[in-house]
Amino acid sequence: MAWRNLGRNKLRTALAALGIIIGVVAICSLGMATVALQQQASSQLGDIGNDVTVSSGQDSDTDGVTQDQIDEIQNLVTDDQVVPQKTNSTTLEARNGEEARMSVTGVTEASALYNLTTGEAPDRLQSGALISNDTANTLGLEMGDPVEYDGQFYRVQGFIESEQSFGPRGGGELVIPVSGLSNQEYYDTVTIVASDGDAATEIGERLDNQFNTEETEELSIQASSGAQNVGGFLDTLSTALLGIGGISLVVAGVAILNVMLMSTVERRGEIGVLRAVGIRRIEVLRMILTEAALMGALGGLVGVILSLGTGMLAFQMLTGNAMGALDWSSSKYLVYGFGFAVLASVLSGVYPAWKAANDRPVEALRG
Amino acid sequence: MAKSMSVIELDDVVKRYQSGEETIEALKYVDFSAERGEMVTVIGPSGSGKSTMLNMIGLLDNPTEGSIRLDGRDVTDFTEDELTEERRTGIGFVFQDFHLLPMLTATENVELPSMWDTSVDRHDRAVELLRRVGLGDRLEHTPGQLSGGQQQRVAIARSLINEPDILLADEPTGNLDQDTGETILTELTRLKEDENVAIVSVTHDEQMLDYTDSTVRIVDGVIQEVSRE
Ligand SMILES: Nc1ncnc2c1ncn2[C@@H]1O[C@H](COP(=O)(O)OP(=O)(O)O)[C@@H](O)[C@H]1O
Ligand SMILES: [Mg+2]
Repeated sequence: MAWRNLGRNKLRTALAALGIIIGVVAICSLGMATVALQQQASSQLGDIGNDVTVSSGQDSDTDGVTQDQIDEIQNLVTDDQVVPQKTNSTTLEARNGEEARMSVTGVTEASALYNLTTGEAPDRLQSGALISNDTANTLGLEMGDPVEYDGQFYRVQGFIESEQSFGPRGGGELVIPVSGLSNQEYYDTVTIVASDGDAATEIGERLDNQFNTEETEELSIQASSGAQNVGGFLDTLSTALLGIGGISLVVAGVAILNVMLMSTVERRGEIGVLRAVGIRRIEVLRMILTEAALMGALGGLVGVILSLGTGMLAFQMLTGNAMGALDWSSSKYLVYGFGFAVLASVLSGVYPAWKAANDRPVEALRG
Repeated sequence: MAKSMSVIELDDVVKRYQSGEETIEALKYVDFSAERGEMVTVIGPSGSGKSTMLNMIGLLDNPTEGSIRLDGRDVTDFTEDELTEERRTGIGFVFQDFHLLPMLTATENVELPSMWDTSVDRHDRAVELLRRVGLGDRLEHTPGQLSGGQQQRVAIARSLINEPDILLADEPTGNLDQDTGETILTELTRLKEDENVAIVSVTHDEQMLDYTDSTVRIVDGVIQEVSRE
């Protein structure tokens, strides 16, 4: 019955459905595009992003982070990798006479911090050394060549990607096992590799609460702010996009309301007949609401299909992976969009339906 | 005194319409009654209150004054929902411009009053009624595919679907040519006996008087004359 009523005035139904479709597409594709944008941004900025760097604070008695403090950090941060480092600097002299000054980092969990030009950094660096790509070029070092630090020789095991200079670890760098710097009792920095910017901020706050008070700074804790700023910008962007989506929704809702009102006005006589022949008010109400819901579902479905297309296009363009649109984080907007379509249609059907059902049949029949 | 109990009775019914400052008295202390198996024709000039009177009889509207009795029960102060229930079970309507739903077939239009009622299946009765009004071969046609006379016959079949006690027809032949009008009237006359239903029809067309059992003449909301054959 409701179905056929919709079929009857195809133009009107089509117009209403168009309003719904625009609303759904607006919210879905803006939502999905935002997710795509976020994914693209975090994959590009991931490396600089999500670290917490801990070093000795102003009020510390020790010149560095102690092993006890590291154990305490480990206990607080169970899910993420804690990477203690000792640092120094040195000058390496090559066989060709070139010299290069560089920082020396003693670290075990090399893979957590470094990307190599070829191959992977070892999870546990026990012997051998990693050296910046650029520095190695300058010095004419090749794989397997020995480098000396503090009287010890290490074989070059890999070259560190130089564009990592975006982060806090820049310039020429020599990475050796932490045992190579055993004459330094304390660790200079501890890096905690968090899963994302928010997690990094959260860990930073947790550590701050644990080690520091208002007056004393035992440890200096820095959650990398670059990622935070970018994250903040993305949040603003997605809020703005969802705002635009919201406005489209209101516009679409008004369009649906208008069509529902026109439809009931147009069918006033017909509804009068229904009421005259004994159809109850609640039945008229239900009929009109069913029509509205059907229309909403119809428009919603078309909208969802269109949005899926747009969403996949956005993902293809921004992340190179169209299938990313199907992931729940993005496809949930399809569900929201569809839900909106049905809800908005039914809601905007309520007033006209109520009006139509409560119209006195005589009045309606008089036209 | 009537030979059997009146199925519908209006007693001193007044209906006033308020339109702006002005009050229109469409019915002025009208008494009226009809019995089963009887065809009553209400005749009068345009604007005399015929439709208003029919709306009172059909429980489509409450009177301003006076009382209405249906089958001996006072329904004057019934709520809209109670009136709907009475219309649903006891009253059938035929309108001047048919008022069929354009997207439904003839059979579905006849079933319409009981379409929401899951407790009964009126399909067989709908088909039978359509056969009786001569539309056995038009069951699946939509109103657009039917002539005016055929549409009015569908409307008559619809008005009888709930086995009503009263059938109300407001100018049922008003939109039909003379011959078609006569067929419709013959149809109604036959059905009134078959179904033992009281038919009250309103017209300004003298042709109808050939078919009626009694005539009520109304002018300016006042009943002028009642004549029984
Ligand atoms: N709903 C209404 N509101 C105001 N006036 C009405 C209404 N219905 C009928 N009338 C007035 O009541 C009078 C009788 O109308 P009606 O019963 O339709 O006459 P008829 O059917 O005999 O042509 C007319 O003057 C008409 O204008
Ligand atoms: Mg009239």
